[in-house]
Amino acid sequence: MNKILLIIQREYLSRVKKKSFIVMTLLTPVLIAAFYGMMFYFSMEGIKGTQNKIAVISENTALTEKLPSTNKRTYEYVGKSLNEMKGALENSTYDYILYLPQFELDNPKGIQLLGKKQAGLVLGGNIADDIEALISVQKLKASGISQTDLDKLKTSVSIDTKKINDTGEEEDSSAGASTIIAYVSGILMFMFIMLYGVQVMRGVIEEKTSRIIEVMISSVKPFQLMMGKIIGIALVGLTQFILWIVLTASISTLVMSVFLDKEDLKQATMSTSAQIPGSSTMQGSPAAAIATSSDSEILSIQKSLANLELTKIIIVFLFFFIGGYLFYSSLYAAIGSAVDNETETQQFMFPVMMPLLLGYVLSLSVVTNDPYGTMAFWLSIIPFTSPIAMMVRMPYGVPDWQLALSMALLVLGFMGTVWMASRIYRVGILMYGKKASFKEMIKWFTYKN
Amino acid sequence: MMLRVNNIVKQYATHLALDDVSLEIEQGKIFGLLGPNGAGKTSLIRIITQITAPDSGEVLFNGKRLNSDHIAQIGYLPEERGLYKKMEIGEQVLYLARLKGLSTAEATKRIKYWFEKLEMGSWWNKKVEDLSKGMQQKVQFVTTVLHNPELIILDEPFSGFDPVNAEIIKDEILELNKQGSTFIFSTHRMESVEELCDNIALIHKSKKILDGSVDDIKDHYRNNTYWVEYHGIHELPHFTPEYAILETAVTKGNTRIKVQLRPDQTANQLLAALLPYVSLSRLDEVIPTMNDIFIDKVKQVN
Repeated sequence: MNKILLIIQREYLSRVKKKSFIVMTLLTPVLIAAFYGMMFYFSMEGIKGTQNKIAVISENTALTEKLPSTNKRTYEYVGKSLNEMKGALENSTYDYILYLPQFELDNPKGIQLLGKKQAGLVLGGNIADDIEALISVQKLKASGISQTDLDKLKTSVSIDTKKINDTGEEEDSSAGASTIIAYVSGILMFMFIMLYGVQVMRGVIEEKTSRIIEVMISSVKPFQLMMGKIIGIALVGLTQFILWIVLTASISTLVMSVFLDKEDLKQATMSTSAQIPGSSTMQGSPAAAIATSSDSEILSIQKSLANLELTKIIIVFLFFFIGGYLFYSSLYAAIGSAVDNETETQQFMFPVMMPLLLGYVLSLSVVTNDPYGTMAFWLSIIPFTSPIAMMVRMPYGVPDWQLALSMALLVLGFMGTVWMASRIYRVGILMYGKKASFKEMIKWFTYKN
Repeated sequence: MMLRVNNIVKQYATHLALDDVSLEIEQGKIFGLLGPNGAGKTSLIRIITQITAPDSGEVLFNGKRLNSDHIAQIGYLPEERGLYKKMEIGEQVLYLARLKGLSTAEATKRIKYWFEKLEMGSWWNKKVEDLSKGMQQKVQFVTTVLHNPELIILDEPFSGFDPVNAEIIKDEILELNKQGSTFIFSTHRMESVEELCDNIALIHKSKKILDGSVDDIKDHYRNNTYWVEYHGIHELPHFTPEYAILETAVTKGNTRIKVQLRPDQTANQLLAALLPYVSLSRLDEVIPTMNDIFIDKVKQVN
């Protein structure tokens, strides 16, 4: 036991002290923070920069209603003629001139948007939308509907998705929050298993090629060496992820508090979320309405995040994190022991990665779409895919018995793979120059001690 | 008997690596384990170091069946040896010593002693990849003997050493031996076997085909043959009651012959028989080298 601790210690310290580890650990959160910073910056710029002031010249007598300004487009009606405006545009504060000639409401023709610079496609489209809305309001009014009735027509809808739990109570849940957590934990799980499983394999190959292995196993049992390595690297992985999360969170907070004041931040979140659900700006729809609706959406995501039993998710996450890693990394250790160098690993890597990759792809597509379906159930029970699939299902709620079954099977599963791998490992590490094949590995597996 | 190997059989998938091999290694001796490539030496060593287990048979260490307590009493320098490339030397030797059960303080003390002794004092913070192959071998030797094992197993210990360092290591081996350490020494270099070993065993094709003390074996392989040199060219009778001439060679006015005595004849009687005819300049007994015995025995089996 003491020896395993020594091995864990070496495997851990030798990796954590590496320059590449320190650089990666420090740099990644900076990159993530920079990425988010840029996203916020650009969405801010999106608000400030595209504020267009448009001079409207309306010669149309049929249009009695006026284009309302939005937070991106300010319409000002000017009484001048088109030619006058054209000359004056250069020295005016206006960005564009919108010319509405006389036309039939059913057949709007000859509308022009003139500017110091060519208007972009989006702006053109938005103005066209505004005019269409204006015309439809005009038509509705012509058919005798009053302004108050018109206002009543505009209703902003957001659906509260609630789940009734076992005790029959309603729980706040939001498909949005669940999906975010499902995706993030699925991706983290996949990354961790891949990255650190391969590190285990590399470590084993390194011991083989540097020929230290025989010295080592004259002091410790192959099993101790393998487990020490697997656990040591798991701790490296946990250290890195925890540092990433802590650093990313603190850097992000710092960056945001420096570059954005509270007001901007609120505006930024508003506009980003307002753009998501088919937000064609209806004529006269007050910006405030959108703001409140998206505000409440964020609130509800936050509320349901709190309701998702985060502690439970985190504990389960850690369990599957470690279980899944142990399950796969012992297979990687077996591969590493069977080959003489990394180029030979290809043929073995594929069958090991297949179920993991399959679990990843299916979890993020099938399981998120139908978290209670048969497919989702089996994927989250079978140890090959359960670490990812179960984490993806978790935020949507999983019955306790399924969770317990999946966990028990994963424990059995990794005990099985560790046992199997250690039998291949103890023979493989002493084999040099023998081209390993699956047949060969099965033979090793059946060797007596 | 410090180590007793009883009827070891080890079967790998397609071939029998060890076929009923038995050995006895005496406390405080240097034991040579010889054999051609692939004979089964490494398999036997791996069984003694508990890297693998035999299919049948047993190994007794100081009378007790080999178990995990014995790991700390054995030091093993494998033929295929290496170190962690990225680790610092001091840290690495310390790690390996602690795996053998030494405390950090004790291990550090001993490492300092050995580094001082073998002029490696400045290597502590160096990385393995910065050392030459010979320097790495020295580090490996230190890790093998650091925990003061009762039994030290060296597989081709001199490969990779320059003559100066090989001499240093040889002296260390002899000194440790004088202090009571028992050695198993596996090598192809027969001159170092004659120089160092008290006893040997020769393994060939998974079987032990010869064992005993080096002196006894050599004695056994003497066959009353002598080199004789004399001045001038003089044709001697090839067959006499005292001897038979096996070879004759003439160089620069001297003649050199290889003679075999008849049974019950002695070197004195040979001299008496030759003296009347020639003026002798040299008489040597032909003692077979371990190399000759090795080749002879292996050929016999083939």
